[in-house]
Order: sequence, then structure tokens, then C-alpha cells
Amino acid sequence: MRWTARTRTGLACAAVALVFTAYSVRLVELQVAKHEAYSQMAAEKHTMRIVLHARRGLIFDRNGELLASNLPVSTVVADGSHIKDPAPLARVAAPFLEMDEKELRAKLSSERKYIVLRRGLAEEKATALGKAMRDANLRGIYFEPDAVRIYPNGQMLGHVLGFLDHDGTGIQGIEMSMEKSLQGRDGYRFIEHDRTGREIMLYRGQEEPAVHGLNVRLTIDMGLQAILEEELDSAFKDLKPEMAVGILADPTTGEILAMTNRPCFDPNHPGDGKDEQKKNRAIIDVVEPGSVFKIVVASGALNEGKVNEKTSIYCESGAFAYGGKILRDHKGYGALSVHDILVHSSNIGSAKMGLLMGETKFYEYVKRFGFGDRTGIELPGEVPGLLRPPHRWDKLTITRMPMGQSIAVTPLQMTMGMSVIANGGKLVAPQIIRSVEDSDGSVVSNKPPRVVREVVPQKVARFVSEALTGVVGEGGTAQLAKIAGFTVAGKTGTAQKVSPNGGYAPGKYVVSFVGYLPQENPRFVCLVMLDDAKVASNLNYGGLVAAPVFSRIGERAARYLDLVPSLRAEPAGPLALRERGKDELTP
Amino acid sequence: MNTNRRKQVNPVQLSSLVRWLLVAAFIGASGLFFVYIKNQQFALAEETRQVERRIASVRSQNETLLARVTKLSSRGALQQRIAEGFISMKPIQDNVIARLTAPAQAQADGVLRTAFNEGIRQ
Repeated sequence: MRWTARTRTGLACAAVALVFTAYSVRLVELQVAKHEAYSQMAAEKHTMRIVLHARRGLIFDRNGELLASNLPVSTVVADGSHIKDPAPLARVAAPFLEMDEKELRAKLSSERKYIVLRRGLAEEKATALGKAMRDANLRGIYFEPDAVRIYPNGQMLGHVLGFLDHDGTGIQGIEMSMEKSLQGRDGYRFIEHDRTGREIMLYRGQEEPAVHGLNVRLTIDMGLQAILEEELDSAFKDLKPEMAVGILADPTTGEILAMTNRPCFDPNHPGDGKDEQKKNRAIIDVVEPGSVFKIVVASGALNEGKVNEKTSIYCESGAFAYGGKILRDHKGYGALSVHDILVHSSNIGSAKMGLLMGETKFYEYVKRFGFGDRTGIELPGEVPGLLRPPHRWDKLTITRMPMGQSIAVTPLQMTMGMSVIANGGKLVAPQIIRSVEDSDGSVVSNKPPRVVREVVPQKVARFVSEALTGVVGEGGTAQLAKIAGFTVAGKTGTAQKVSPNGGYAPGKYVVSFVGYLPQENPRFVCLVMLDDAKVASNLNYGGLVAAPVFSRIGERAARYLDLVPSLRAEPAGPLALRERGKDELTP
Repeated sequence: MNTNRRKQVNPVQLSSLVRWLLVAAFIGASGLFFVYIKNQQFALAEETRQVERRIASVRSQNETLLARVTKLSSRGALQQRIAEGFISMKPIQDNVIARLTAPAQAQADGVLRTAFNEGIRQ
């Protein structure tokens, strides 16, 4: 066979075509048939999903004072596969990370791609370390943005604000109850990086931006909070009670203006506090309310027409036998009007009003005042208190509950119960969240005041309120609660402390005073409660222990709120009386 | 013979050559332009990355400073400074207060009560 030029050309073309076809086949295999597999391999090697951290929302008081904010920090991580020689890197990084060089070198010697070296490194140190590494031409250590929560006021308002766990989730207080609004939503971004780990911006992939948390504005007024904390702290140091609670609220709207407990803790260092210190006792602890509860029976009996302004109730000269037991007053009284029963805090008078009402009606009023139910405040862990239905009462309960025994309530329930009298007969729901706002300050949601129900008509509330003014006046049980220039109304409470072993603990009392001012148009209602104050037992009464604290708080609060006094001031009178009361109480 | 040789000469077709050269030059230039644009993109992307990093760094510094300012101006910190004598508080002079309610007066006990009702005292 002769190889003609045409044949040779044909063969050469065929060979070239064959080679190209082979290449084409291989290309098609790589690009089409194995596209998914190779894409996956490439993605695994060069693509990564980075988290765009959402910033947690801030917490403000009603006037915009910052109560909780975030401090940016870095989590320092290392990629072992990027480190050729760990020694120089450890030498440079150890001082910044405040770690031992040897220990760091050991950690960096690992081949693992994700080694956490240090959490919560201050931003300045992270920047300085980054610069030092760049200057030394080292790589392998990276910084992930993070933040720690800070509470600039330390212990102040700690029980209300709460704190976060190590994952940044709220586990107490507002941080917990408003977790959904505060936390925001992390975003993500898919990036490709080169072999040195640097992002190749051009190949930035799918992205969803982070949604930052919303800011929360509380009803708390830090000016009033500071007053309450200072005065309660002083009482806690002087009288050494086991615990103390203070609440200031607006009786018309139900807004909590200040709330504090002793003992307390610093939410910046929650681990340093004991569990007992972290309890918000204003909503978690229950106590027998004592004589403060007499406002319930008086209001109910008046509203039901069982008694009226002129009714006299015989108080058995201080000893009333009922149900096989003797109920006593601290002083023997004859016939007292409803007004005087409240002023003198007669147990027998209150018990007789309870008997006039009957178990079912009295129970109904207790419920109408909000006792036995959670108030619904936006704080976690609130308890409803202990209130048994009438069919579980014994024979004595109807004479004991009107004077605040056989029932357990929270300090907040007591405050809101007194607000019913202060605001003219309406039970308002307490609220501590004023609004939820975005980062621009636009209101996303706000909560208007909510009237739960009308408990008693205004006329009845006004009558009881007048009687409560008498409690603070001459002959009343709480003269030390007076405030110069203002008509104060309120009620003392002195309850025997319930023993964990059953019955009452001898010589131990929970004393309280709940009052409001100005009586004519109340701007705030204030509760002061002290559990087992270390004073002589014959002086351990709400009127002697809690009332002076109320007076000091009320006076400073009135000055802070710039209330215009309605009475002629009695210079030095109440102040001297109050100071005298303080001296007398020294054990 | 000379005639035959002359017949076998293939003259270069200039127009065709120029056309192909132009096509090749165009393709070459397109390739170079593509590479140039791609480089530009990488350069700009790198610049964007640096700017993003600077913004993040400034934002972070800003937040750090805000946190520090908040801490230093908190009630506790200010009260501590008052206690240490770094700062002190003086009553505001009457002549610089514009008030809607009655002016403050000190009582006999020397305590200043802003809520004191001057009208009633008179």
C-alpha cells in the first residue's frame, strides 16, 4: 500500500482528533459527570460558613440611662494546619494571651484546625496581637468577634436585670424574660479563602445579615432606684434583717419605678453570689402580710354593705374567744368604727368584719385584690402566693385571714393591693417593661397600662384611704412614716415569721409598711419589708422598724419628683421623730 | 519550465492575512482585557475587605469606648468619685433655675427640700 499525501494527512488529522477527543471526554467527565463531586471537594477545601454575630439589645431605664450593654471582646482560635513552627508564634502570642509560653506552644503544636486558645480577650489586646503577628510575618492565630454583657451600675437593680449564662442566654430577670427581643438572630456568610486562610472577597457567597437584638426600656427610674437602694441598704446594715425588700410603683399605671432586695449580688460576677442572694424576693418569696391585709376586709365589708362609715364594732376589750381560741389585740379596745379599726390596727375588729362578710364573700374580695394569682409582671419566677379556697379553711381562718394570717403573698402583690386603695379602687397590672425599641430608638412595641378589674368603687377606696391617713397620724400605728409637707396614707404589717418546722418562730417577725403619697393624688406607692430585723422584740413592729425607712424613702422621692407639698411643713418634727425611732431600735 | 514554476507560486493574500491577524489580535486583546478586569476585581475586592475590616475595628473600638464611658458615668462610679473627693456637688443657685413649681428653700434643720412649698410657709 502506498501512503499518499492525502492518506498521511488524513491519519495525522485523525490522530490529532483522537487526542483532542480524549481530552474532551476527560473534560466532559470532569466538568459534567463529576461536577458535583469536585464542586463539593473544592467547597470543603476553600469554602466556609462564617457566623455574623447579632448584637444583644441594650436595656435602658425610663429616662434612657443605660443599664446593660455589651463590651466587644475576641475569642482567640488557632488553626494547627496553618502553623509551620509553633515556637516563634507562641513566643509572640503568649504575653498578649497572658498564657505560659510552653503551654501555648503545646497547644499550637496540634494539627487540629480549630483550637480555642482564649475567650473574652479585650479588643485592644487582640488588635495588638494581630499587629505583632503581621510584623513578625506569622500566621495561624485568628480572632472571632464576641461580646460580654456588662452592667455599669453593678449591684444596683441586679435582681431585676438578671444575668446571662456562658452561652449568652438570659437566665434571670429581664435578661431572661425578654430573651427573644434582646438576643437578635445571628446571620451567616459563605466565603472562599486562599491557602493562607484569607477570604477571597470576589467569591463571597450567599449571605444573610445578622438581625441585632432590640433594646428594652424599663419603667424603672434610676433616680428613685438609687434612693430606694441607698435607704434599704442603710436599714439592712443598721437593723441586720435576714432580708429586706423595697418596691416603688405608680399606683395609677402599675409601673414599677424601683425594686430592690437585700442581700443582693453583682450581675457582672454572678458566680460570686450565692443562690440566696440572687433571688428577687419581691416576686419569689411569700410571707404572711400581717395587718396590711386589713385593707381587704375593710374594703370588702364596706362595699358589701355589711358595715358603713358609722358602724361601730365591739372589740371585746382586747380578747375575743372564737373557735376555741382567743384572738387578742395589742391593746384593749371597746367599740371602734371601721376607720378606727384600721387606724389602731385592731385584729378583733378585722376578724368581726370578716365574720360579717362570710367566707365566700371574703375570699372573693381577696381574689379581687389580686392575691392568690400571679400579677403577670414581666419577670421570671413569679409565684402566685398561697391562698386556699374556703372549703379548705378551718374554723379559725375567717378570723385569721382578715389580719393577714393563713395566707401567703408576695411583696409585689401587697404593693399592688395597696395601689387599689391609692388609685380609687382599680387593680392595675404591674409592668416593668415600658417599650421595646430598635437601634434607632423607634418604638417596636409598647405596653399601655392595664386595669385588671375594678375591685371596689371610688367612694369605698376613698374612705379606706382616709382611714389609712389616720394610721400615719396622731394615735395611729405608723407615726414615724410621716413626711413633712405631705399627707401620707399607709398601713403597717407585723407578722410572726413562719418556722420551717411548722408553726411560728418565736420572737421573729416580718415587718412591713406599705404607703403612698400625696394621699389626695398619689404619685407613688412604696413598700418596705424587713424579715427578722435584729431589734428588741418589743420594738419589732412595722410602725417602728419599716415606717421610718418608708419616710426617708418617701421624702427623698418626693424631692426627686419635685412634688408640691400640700401641708404646712413642720420643721424638724417628723425628721426628729424618725431619727428618734432609729435610735430607739438599736438593739 | 519557468512558466510552470511561476504557475506553482502561491501568493500571500494580504487581505485575508490582515483579517486573521485582526481576529487574533482581538482575541488576544480580549483575553488580556479579561485578565486585567479580573485583576481589577481582585484588587477592589481586597480593598473592600480591608475597608470592611477597618469598619469592624472602628465599630468595635467605638463600642468598647461606649462601654467604658457608660461604666465611668454610672451612678456607682460617680458616687465613688464623690466619696473620694474627685468631684463634689453644690446646690444650684436660685438665680440660674427656671422652675414651673415653687422654689426650693432650706428648712430650719438646714436640709434643702426642693419640694418645700414656699407659698404655704408664708
